[in-house]
Amino acid sequence: MNAALLAGFFKNFAKVFTETAYLKMLFKGLETTLIISIGAAAIGLLLGSLVAIVKITPKKNKFMLIPNFICDVYTTVIRGTPMALQLFLMAFVIFAIRGFPNELTAIFAFGINSGAYVAENIRAGILSVDRGQSEAGRALGLNGRQTMLKIVVPQGMKNVIPALGNEIIALIKETSIVSMIGMVDLTAAAKIIGSGQNLATYLAPTAVAALFYLIIVYLLTFAIKLIERKLRKSDNRK
Amino acid sequence: MITVNNVYKSFGKNEVLKGISLNVEKGEKLALIGPSGSGKSTLLRCLNLLEEIKYGEVWLDGKLLTPVDPYLHFDVIEKSNTFKKVCAELAQAGTPESEIREKAILKIKKEDLLKPFEGREYRAAVKKIFKENYLNINLARRCMGMVFQQFNLFNNMNVLNNMIYAPVKLKIMTKAQAEEKAAALLKRIGLPDKADAFPSSLSGGQKQRIAIARSLMMNPEVMLFDEPTSALDPEMVGEVLALIKELADEGMTMVIVTHEMGFAREVATRVLFMDGGNILEEGAPEKIFTQPQNERLKDFLSKVL
Repeated sequence: MNAALLAGFFKNFAKVFTETAYLKMLFKGLETTLIISIGAAAIGLLLGSLVAIVKITPKKNKFMLIPNFICDVYTTVIRGTPMALQLFLMAFVIFAIRGFPNELTAIFAFGINSGAYVAENIRAGILSVDRGQSEAGRALGLNGRQTMLKIVVPQGMKNVIPALGNEIIALIKETSIVSMIGMVDLTAAAKIIGSGQNLATYLAPTAVAALFYLIIVYLLTFAIKLIERKLRKSDNRK
Repeated sequence: MITVNNVYKSFGKNEVLKGISLNVEKGEKLALIGPSGSGKSTLLRCLNLLEEIKYGEVWLDGKLLTPVDPYLHFDVIEKSNTFKKVCAELAQAGTPESEIREKAILKIKKEDLLKPFEGREYRAAVKKIFKENYLNINLARRCMGMVFQQFNLFNNMNVLNNMIYAPVKLKIMTKAQAEEKAAALLKRIGLPDKADAFPSSLSGGQKQRIAIARSLMMNPEVMLFDEPTSALDPEMVGEVLALIKELADEGMTMVIVTHEMGFAREVATRVLFMDGGNILEEGAPEKIFTQPQNERLKDFLSKVL
């Protein structure tokens, strides 16, 4: 009985890879997932860095009061509401324009969402640098910007990179909810392949999709580790 | 050289400095002693404005580093609306004409003048003093070297870059000049082979000596030491103190916050005893350590000596 089940699984597993229609669908889904992830990560990093810079500037600066308030509202609202809700809002209200590409809607939705988390990650990383470091820079006569850019930020980045990696990994997996606005990403493709008209079993296609996600995340983790090791060079005791 | 005039500083409700006035002459070696929490480190940090002061002014070589405190300028006080109001009140109370000005100035408190609505003339007077005397703090800090308790070497740079980054970035010297000077300084402090090392691989004493050398790179006119040996292992205190003493002997002006009484006595030309945000006693080291007058100082010395 069990042996038969297992044999069936492997048969279906092989079928997902051999049937060109299925394979095509999977890779099309993978492409969508990757496009959305990369686009969203780019927007998220850009937006997040910008928001973090605004949030880090001293509160004494009167010109920054309004931007500061806007950024506070942005992170609070984005982090306080579900991603799916934000996606709906983007797809059916804000970008509810005939002919507007779905991919762009998703990229904006995920990018704006990711930006809020990235901003908090970067802010936390910068704040984790000992105050003495910036004091030493200022005491030498460097101005605030020079101290920030050459002394505080490089040290803060060491603490930011792991958290940023985490955020991007979470983002890639979270893109699977785009099927809710009718897009076919990797997860949705697996679901279609597993449906009654096709394989009539979800086990094999979802396993393949999981494998794809795993490979992407593994490669990413590896890249992040490399970057981290490079940044931590100055910590090593020679 | 450095003049501190009626400086107040508070952290929240905690008043740390309560009207400190102080004058540091060129070539003087000033030691600040006192119990923990007496405000001596805060005072030192106020000298180069790492702490923002609440009232009062700090001057460096006749240049104003802080905003103008109108309370310290009689001619500005006279132009304020508050002064006019107080004068009117005094006149009504029947004060003789000749005493009104003096009494009004005495009556006005430092907090009174920081409110807005003191009149256009007053604002212009404040602005004039500011414009004529103000020196940008970043420029002022170049000639005030600061050495911290926790060394604060830049962890992301090696020793050489720690030393040359600021002078090169601020275009005080070229990279080649800076490297030459850094090499000379490293040789002088006995660490010529550490130029490529990162701070994490150095001992506390080495870090502090390099921190001192880093300050010296800017050719400062005055050095501020904030408990330079408090974070060191006992066996490393000696090497750092020896370096500071060497600088003192060369005639460097310095202000030292320290718990090393023996060192203060040996190096300082003047000792200030602080407690509770006030300077309680000051004088030559011999006088302070052998014939203390203030009860609090006697108590303090009996505990630390």
